[in-house]
Amino acid sequence: MAAENWNTKQFEKAIQGEKPVLVDFWAPWCVYCRRIAAAYEKVAEEYADQLTAGKINIDEEAQLADREGVDTIPTLTIYRNGKALGSIIAPGSKAKIDEFIRETLGE
Amino acid sequence: MNHIYDMLIVGGGPGGYTAALYAARAGLEAVVLEKLSAGGQMALTEQIDNYPGFEDGVDGFTLAEKMQAQAERFGAKTELAEVLSLDLRSDPKIAETSEGTFYGKTVVLATGATPRELGVPMERELAGHGVHYCAACDGMFYKGKTVAVVGGGDTAAADALLLRRVAKKVLLIHRRDTLRATKIYHEPLMQAENVEFHWNSVVTQLLHDGKFTGVRIRDVFTGKETDLPCDGVFVSVGRRPATELAAGQLNLNEGGYVIAGESTGTNLPGVYAVGDVRTKPLRQVVTAVADGAVAVHEVQRYLAGG
Repeated sequence: MAAENWNTKQFEKAIQGEKPVLVDFWAPWCVYCRRIAAAYEKVAEEYADQLTAGKINIDEEAQLADREGVDTIPTLTIYRNGKALGSIIAPGSKAKIDEFIRETLGE
Repeated sequence: MNHIYDMLIVGGGPGGYTAALYAARAGLEAVVLEKLSAGGQMALTEQIDNYPGFEDGVDGFTLAEKMQAQAERFGAKTELAEVLSLDLRSDPKIAETSEGTFYGKTVVLATGATPRELGVPMERELAGHGVHYCAACDGMFYKGKTVAVVGGGDTAAADALLLRRVAKKVLLIHRRDTLRATKIYHEPLMQAENVEFHWNSVVTQLLHDGKFTGVRIRDVFTGKETDLPCDGVFVSVGRRPATELAAGQLNLNEGGYVIAGESTGTNLPGVYAVGDVRTKPLRQVVTAVADGAVAVHEVQRYLAGG
């Protein structure tokens, strides 16, 4: 399932659960965000049974990005039970995203 | 038995995807092993104006996506795999990757080169938005503005000379007190009224308030820091060919580039080097795509036992 763009309300609902949630904070003008987009979709698909993946456009949800301490994009953050478990900024490869997920979920 | 591709293409830049296109059209089974996304260096270039066929220019990411789609239309495959090691001498040749092991009768090395970075915070995020690595590509955005150039070699000097004609003012920042660049560059630079030198200085920070606003430099002797407001900075501190995977197998020159001529053939049979990674006089998208086509021509001969 493709990662959907969430607004703040959808984000807040999504991260409350037991199932981990992976969020990509991005913006349309961010060149590097475009570069990771295909890898992010692939990851969302591959880890679909372990986590739910979504995206936050920080131009549209500026307050949320601020509150979550996102000052650099792309930032990928994993949440569970309403808490952020870890983040990675501007990963250099799909393998780096895989590694981040595995480490954060403690596998 | 493991699947053996006709061609493993390492790297999904313009050279890699042109090789994939030509291979697929020649009926060869090719896979591009790319760690992140198509395009390589050009994916971070906002506007490419020197690639023929796009009269209004084209952004690098879009051009990369088009090259990928074009190759895939004819059956080329892409794996988002980071290659961890290559065995170029074995038969078949072996690529160990983050997505498993791949085997190929031939290997086209299209790993490119990356501009050396300043290594300061926010550099990657501001790339393409105030921070640039190619004056010939991105200089035109700074018409009538103030830009900084970091570096003291030939590339930096050439960049400063180019930008001096475009920009209102050029700040040349170099960590030594003289340029390392070839003498022919010195005179015109010294005489240019709109070039301001900042010797013995290194960039310690990129200044930004949502967008790029300038650089902070430090005097290497006194330690004194100064903020230089400018609209953009061009980092010209050299390029690093991505040849780690080939180390000890392919012959490299002193700059680390794979020694390969117009035929793209290397010292190992069945191994070809295309694009920025090989020794060549001009590293551009147009020369990379030409290499990709030539490599497939050579691969066909090799596979035919010629």
